[in-house]
Amino acid sequence: MEINATARKKQLKENISGYLFLSPAFIILGLFLFIPTLMSIYYSLTDYYMLTPDKTSFIGLDNFKKLFNDPLMRQSILNIFKFVILIMPIQVGTALGLALLVNNQEKHTIIYKIAYFSPVVMSLVVVSILWLYLLNPSSGLINQVLMKMGFESQPFLSSPNQAMITIVFVSAWQGAGYQMLIFLAGLQNIPNEVYEAATIDGANRWEKFSKITLPMLKPTSILILTTTLIDAFKLIIQPMVMTQGGPLNSTLTPAYYIYRTGFTDRFVGYASAMTVIYGAIIISFTVIQRKIVGGDGDE
Amino acid sequence: MKNIKRVIATVLVAVFTLGNLGVVSAQDDNVINLWVQYSEESAEGQVMVNSAKEFNETNEEGYVVEVSYVPRSGSGGGYEDVINAALTTNTMPDVFTLDGPNVAAYANSGMLQPIDDYVSNKEDILPSIIDQGTFDGQLYAAGYSESGVGIYYNLDMLEEAGVDLSTLPTVSEPWDWNQFNELLETLYAHYNKPVLNMGFDDQSEWLLYAFAPYIWSAGGEITNEEGTEAIGVFDSAENTSAFEFIQSLVKNDYSTITPVEYGFHTGEYALFMSGSWTMQQLDSEYKDINYGVMPYPVSPDTKELVSPTGSWAYGMSTTTDNPEAAGALIDFLMSEEQLYNMSMGNSVLPARQSVADRMMEEVSEPMKVLIEQNTTSGKARPKLVNYPQVSRTFQQTVTESTYFEQNPDIKSLLERKAQEIQSYLAQ
Repeated sequence: MEINATARKKQLKENISGYLFLSPAFIILGLFLFIPTLMSIYYSLTDYYMLTPDKTSFIGLDNFKKLFNDPLMRQSILNIFKFVILIMPIQVGTALGLALLVNNQEKHTIIYKIAYFSPVVMSLVVVSILWLYLLNPSSGLINQVLMKMGFESQPFLSSPNQAMITIVFVSAWQGAGYQMLIFLAGLQNIPNEVYEAATIDGANRWEKFSKITLPMLKPTSILILTTTLIDAFKLIIQPMVMTQGGPLNSTLTPAYYIYRTGFTDRFVGYASAMTVIYGAIIISFTVIQRKIVGGDGDE
Repeated sequence: MKNIKRVIATVLVAVFTLGNLGVVSAQDDNVINLWVQYSEESAEGQVMVNSAKEFNETNEEGYVVEVSYVPRSGSGGGYEDVINAALTTNTMPDVFTLDGPNVAAYANSGMLQPIDDYVSNKEDILPSIIDQGTFDGQLYAAGYSESGVGIYYNLDMLEEAGVDLSTLPTVSEPWDWNQFNELLETLYAHYNKPVLNMGFDDQSEWLLYAFAPYIWSAGGEITNEEGTEAIGVFDSAENTSAFEFIQSLVKNDYSTITPVEYGFHTGEYALFMSGSWTMQQLDSEYKDINYGVMPYPVSPDTKELVSPTGSWAYGMSTTTDNPEAAGALIDFLMSEEQLYNMSMGNSVLPARQSVADRMMEEVSEPMKVLIEQNTTSGKARPKLVNYPQVSRTFQQTVTESTYFEQNPDIKSLLERKAQEIQSYLAQ
């Protein structure tokens, strides 16, 4: 009996120590995630206007009813789906391609890693401003090069048809380096003996890539696809800096619309309703993606 | 013994802490916190540094102003985010600057308190400034400068294209849109490229500020006088004619929606629609550009010259603990000498008649054109509680009108936008 009591005391002490170590993380998560989420849900049911917080009143689901009839919200959701569908293969594909290139280098790999990773360390605002200059239809470097090659100058960000795809390429340019490093780590974890065995069996490069590299990169790929998807849905900086959601709302994203509604127009209640719905959309798509691609990838 | 030492130490800590709090409190009563929307290093900022120093040294009540410089971007972003954050945390400063069109929203929400009793010699302040800062019959904000926009022209480029400079318009005899088009046609024929930068790429308050005078010249309005109706007002025939004129400038390739940055400054464009702030840049950094300024072109139907007005203003927050001190600061900053320093130092139009009279003796010919245009034809932007949303809709209307392939029918564009504005007025 005495031994049991001592063991229980020891277990309790260990549990308390464990919770104490976890508490800073829980406090931070609580302050910056759980509490704001609950507050957003509460505000979404009110008419909270930033300039008159004391006059906030409960309005039930009115914000949500307005949201479902809001053409700008519909447009922004269409825009973000377009962005997500384009960025996923382009950015992830580029990252994988760069990782394969670097992995096949025998010398000076550090130079390639730095070169491909350097856009990642630049702030998105700086990247957006930089590309704004490069893509200027009148005086930008990109059009200067195109015209020298005999092509016509392109409108890029000033065309409703080209603006979003331009933002996709800028985003992929900026973000691919980070995923390249993750893919590289995954590639370097694949034992060389597997490739040697495949060579002995007569496998060509494509067969090695499709039957060894890709399957063995699955856990890495799932991580990258999930994080890229979530990051893609959060698109705000590039449209805010480069196009202000235009031209003709072709680059207005839900995150930017929410920011504008909440902070520029000061309709915090309505913006909160948008965040609730949009958050639910992102979570749903993340779950669907995991189900399609596979959960843990332990195969 | 150990316990006695602990008690003594605790008492000492309490005494020092409370004593310091007392000292801080005594200092705080005379400290006025002022937030401004520009950087300390800017021309405006340098004027404010001197103004603050002078106020601290000369006021007899011992008030001390502490200025926080919060540079804004575009039409207020950055700075207004700080204001919004302060609102939600109840940490508004005693005095802060606000853009003129925000007066109605801030006053209506109770953020500002009236300053009629603090600003002296109001008769000398320009009517447009008083109008901008007045809401519901009381003065809530005092603008420290006026603003104006004109069409800058490159004398050398116009001469090269064969334009007779002696026929250029003046404030008393402005050109109408047809005459302005003739100039554009001449310049375009010579240079074979867009010749006018109107700032279509500036997706900010600029698009309402600078382009609303075109609809006003045509006899149109954004809303009715009460600010309750936009349908039937914004989509009027007068506004349609104005937006068709704006659209034609891009359609005929006289202007561009993607101008080269500093195109006028570098001799790329012969004409540039811009405000008085461009003069400072040209005079200090682009001295080889020989320029003049002409007034806004007017509607051929009304021949009425209308120009934009309005700028940033000082307001007193309702949460200030010392309205007397805050009022004294605003009164000081609105004095003739301080407004003169601000206008001359920042190359902006004056907010007082006495300062305008003084400046007319000292400023360049282009600045005289803007001052004269401002005092004779300035019209304030509408004072609406939901001004940010209405302004954005107007800005989008200007932008969408320039996409003439997607929006060939201006009337139906204005009808859509009138509905949108109406929805904001109803909120």
